[in-house]
Order: sequence, then C-alpha cells, then structure tokens
Amino acid sequence: MDRPFGVIFMNKIVLSAQGLTKTFGEPASTRSNRGEFTAVDHISFTLEEGEVLGILGPNGAGKTTTLFMLLDLITPTSGDLTMFGMRYRDDREKILQRVNFASAYMDMVPRMTIMENLLIMAMLYQVKKPKEVIRTWAASMGIASLLGMEYQKLSAGQKTRAQMCKAFLSSPEILLLDEPTASLDPDISVTVRKHILDAKNRGVSIIITSHNMAEVEEICDRVLFINHGKIVAEDTPEGLAQAVRKARVQLMMTDGQKRTIAFAKRAGFPVRANGRFVTIDVDEDDIAYLLSGLAEKGVEYRQITIDKPTLEDYFIAESRRNL
Amino acid sequence: MNLMRVWAIVIKFWFDTKRDMFRLFDVFWWPAFNLFVWGLLSTYLSKLSNGSVNFVLLFLAGTIFWSFFDRASRDISRSMVEELWNRNLPNIFSTPLTLTEYLAGVLIVAFIKLVIGSAFLLILAKLFYGFQISALGWPVVGIMAGLMIFGWSVSFIIQSCVLRFGHTVEVFIWAVTVLLQPFSCVFYPLSALPEWAQWVARGFPSMYLFEQMRAIISGTPVSPGDTMISIVLNATYLILSVAFFYRTFGYAKTNGLLTKPF
Repeated sequence: MDRPFGVIFMNKIVLSAQGLTKTFGEPASTRSNRGEFTAVDHISFTLEEGEVLGILGPNGAGKTTTLFMLLDLITPTSGDLTMFGMRYRDDREKILQRVNFASAYMDMVPRMTIMENLLIMAMLYQVKKPKEVIRTWAASMGIASLLGMEYQKLSAGQKTRAQMCKAFLSSPEILLLDEPTASLDPDISVTVRKHILDAKNRGVSIIITSHNMAEVEEICDRVLFINHGKIVAEDTPEGLAQAVRKARVQLMMTDGQKRTIAFAKRAGFPVRANGRFVTIDVDEDDIAYLLSGLAEKGVEYRQITIDKPTLEDYFIAESRRNL
Repeated sequence: MNLMRVWAIVIKFWFDTKRDMFRLFDVFWWPAFNLFVWGLLSTYLSKLSNGSVNFVLLFLAGTIFWSFFDRASRDISRSMVEELWNRNLPNIFSTPLTLTEYLAGVLIVAFIKLVIGSAFLLILAKLFYGFQISALGWPVVGIMAGLMIFGWSVSFIIQSCVLRFGHTVEVFIWAVTVLLQPFSCVFYPLSALPEWAQWVARGFPSMYLFEQMRAIISGTPVSPGDTMISIVLNATYLILSVAFFYRTFGYAKTNGLLTKPF
C-alpha cells in the first residue's frame, strides 16, 4: 500500500541502546596496574521491528562485546539498554525468551549429539514439540542426517549450521548473529542467508556481524560501522559505499595510452598501466571530467569499465583511516 | 523458578555423562577402590588388636561418610568447570535460564550421583565386610546430610574461584578434600590433632559430624552442643558461599569472564 504523502511511518523500536559503554580492567592507578580498556565507547542505536542491522568493523572493534551486552552475558559499564521496552535488571527472563543468538565461534557440549544439544536448548526456551521443531530446522539447514552425531565430530561448517538451528528453534523476535556464515560453503551460505531474509520477512529483527561485505550489502537494511568501540558511521550499505566516492575507471586502449597516463597524472588521479589496460582511480564526480578530457586529447579505447565503490571499499578505507 | 529449565539442566548432565566412561569410573571405581584399601587395612588392624577395637567399623564408616563430602564437593565444582571447558556458558546463559535454576539442576544431579554412588559403596561394604549402616540408626542420616551440605558450601567457593581465576585454580576441585580431611578428623578424634590444628578443626562442621559418628559407633551419647555447632556452622557457610558465588557470577559478567575462552 502506498504511504499517504506527509505521513511518516515508523516501525516499532524493539531495541534501544543509549550511550552503551563497556570498560574492562581497572584504572592504572589501582594496585593491579592493568589499566583500563574501553571496548565499547558510548554507542547509541536502535533496532526496528523487521529490520536487519549490520554491525561492521575490524577485529577488536567492539562488535562481539556489543552483542554480548545485548544478551546480558556482559554487564555494561554505563548506558541504557531496553529490549521490547524492558530492561535486564527487571525482566531478564522475559527478554531472553524473545531473543536468540548464534555465533560461528561458540561451541555446544562436545560429547552430546546435535539432537541432544538442541533438545536442551529447546527445553531452556520451553519450545513446544521440541523434537519436531528441531527436525524441521535441521532439515532446512541440511543437517537432518547428522542429528545423531556427536557435536565434537562435526566439521566447522556443520557446527555453524547446528548453531543456526539453535538460533531459530525458539522463534525469536530478535535474532543476534555473530558471523553466521563464517566457515560455510557458498551454497550453504546462500541457504543461511535465505533463512535470515525469511525471518526478516516474518518480522524478526536481526543484528548481524559479518566480514562478508557482499552478504551485508545483500541482507542488511542499515549498517553501523564501529571502530575502537565507537560508531564512526551509520547508513544503508549503499550509503556507506558511496561515502568512499572513489570509482575505478579501466580502459582497454587502442590509441593514446601515453597521452592518457600523462593527462591522468596532470589531473592528480592515481593511474597505472598493465599491457593495453590503463586503470585510473577518480572521485565519482570527476568521471565526466576525465572522459571529456581524454576525448579532447583524441584518445581511443575499445572498452571502458567503471567500478563503483562497494561496502568493502568503505570497510578497507575506514579501517585504514583508524589504524 | 521454572521447573522445565531446571529439568533441562538435569537432562543435560545425563546426556553428557552417559557417553563418558571416565565419569562412571568417578562414580563407581574410585570410591570402591578407596573402600577396599581401607577395608583391607582395617581388617588387618583388627586382627592385630585381636578384635579389641572395631577398626572395620571406624574406618569404613569414615570412608563412606567422607565420600558424602567428597562427592558433593567435587561433582558440583566439576559441573561448572566443564561448562567453561566446553565454552557452553554463553549458550546456556543467553537463554532465560537463571543462575538459581542452573544451580538447582546441578544440585539435583549431584544428589542423584551421590545417592547412586553411596548405595553402591554401602552394598560393597555389606557384602565384603559385613558393614551394616542401618545398625547405626537414624542419626547417621543427619551426619550424611551435614557432610553433603558442607561439600556444597566448599564447591560454591571453588566454583567462584574457578570462575574468577580460571583454570589455574582448577586443581582445588580435587585438592580441597585432601586439604580438609586432616582437620575433619575422619579417622581419629579431635584430641589426636596438635593444639593449633584443633583450633583450625573447630571451624569446620565436618569435625563435629565425625565426632558424632564415632560417638554413635562407640555407643556413647552424642553431644547436643556439637550437633548445634555443626548445624550453625553449616548454615553459615552455606549462606556465605552461595552469596559469594552469586557475587562472583556478577563479577564474571562485569568482566566478560563468561564469554572468554577458558
């Protein structure tokens, strides 16, 4: 249905973090002298119903610490966190009944089978008809035949899929996923991404951390970029990518290769040649200037490719900037 | 408290235990081994003394009763360490499970293991040495319960230390029973200890409970004062140790220790 002009629709906010901070250790002046380390530094964000929010950042940026605070596994040093309008100190059980979590880096009990591990989890979430639910999710994740196998005998990818079954079996309203497709084959990654998008379409709100930028671009509505514990950018994946503003123009030359290189250098564009190919990095706004300049010089080329910036370019640029 | 979540913890330990032969050894083999060593020694000593002292009754009762403390302490402490080894704490504590429900489940499992292990020991003691615990009367139930509760208190302290300091203090799970045994006067009266050690021993309810055990075996009256002191000490230690454990769990959450690799 089209939205009437002038009316702003807002989805319900299911999670709100305001000034969330986590400092580990003690001040350097204390006897232990270990010093303080701020893993998460006054971050504020919200999550809407049915939204997929990506949290990106280099290793050690504070992504996983943030997820653990959202799960009440780590107590924030300061800040306010509400989920479904409730706070952990008053309504921990009610909140966690509606939240679930999967991480490629967490383990289950190694000597227990997948079915046994998932059955325990289902009981902790009070899932009705747990074995039926587990079998359904295991089938959809392609591990139905492994349900009787001990967890310790699974490959990394199979473990990740077992974790995904665990995350879905309680029908959560908020799903927290820490690199859900790490160590998965490309075809299984596609299946997992499909389940994430299906969950989103059912109205599940999802927070996901990932180092797979293509995946984030595909499934996230919004992205927070965190570095050194702080949110340094917040936008749609496309919006963040455009912030890089760098495009790469690649020309297959037929005539005027030297003139092309000379023109690009005079204009201050990074340029390199490889055989008949010349690659020039320009701001998106300068593409027209470059092409008209080359036309004036009488340069001829058979093929032109313009690569627009991606989220990965943003990730690399932002990570380097904050080194 | 949600009983289904408590039951989930009980079932979890059953699933985990049934495939582990070493755990079955822990429940059956080592206590039986211990019983036979003391049984053989006490039989030999009884022969030397021409039966003037019933060493079999004293030593076997001591061994069996001590196993109540030992098992209660070790089983509960190990449960937490294994969760840490398996990196399973983030999984279970990111569910609605509360710490109280988790502890209730762990205590139920430890109690079941204690009952099974003790029944096995009592059957062996009856079969091989004619040791009949029922002959000692109902007061032994109180002694067993007292030792079990003291074992719980010690295990809460050890679990707290493991949670706080990691695997470097894991050795105390096994060492604490060895450290406490001399002061608990399991096989000898309090008066056998040096003066300074007697003062230390008076701080442990286990010492009073074993004095009561010897009184029952020798047919002398049990001191009501000692009984009262052991109850007060046990209650105090239990309350303090549980409070300490909850506080340490909070510390672990504050410092991210639940989510760290062990």
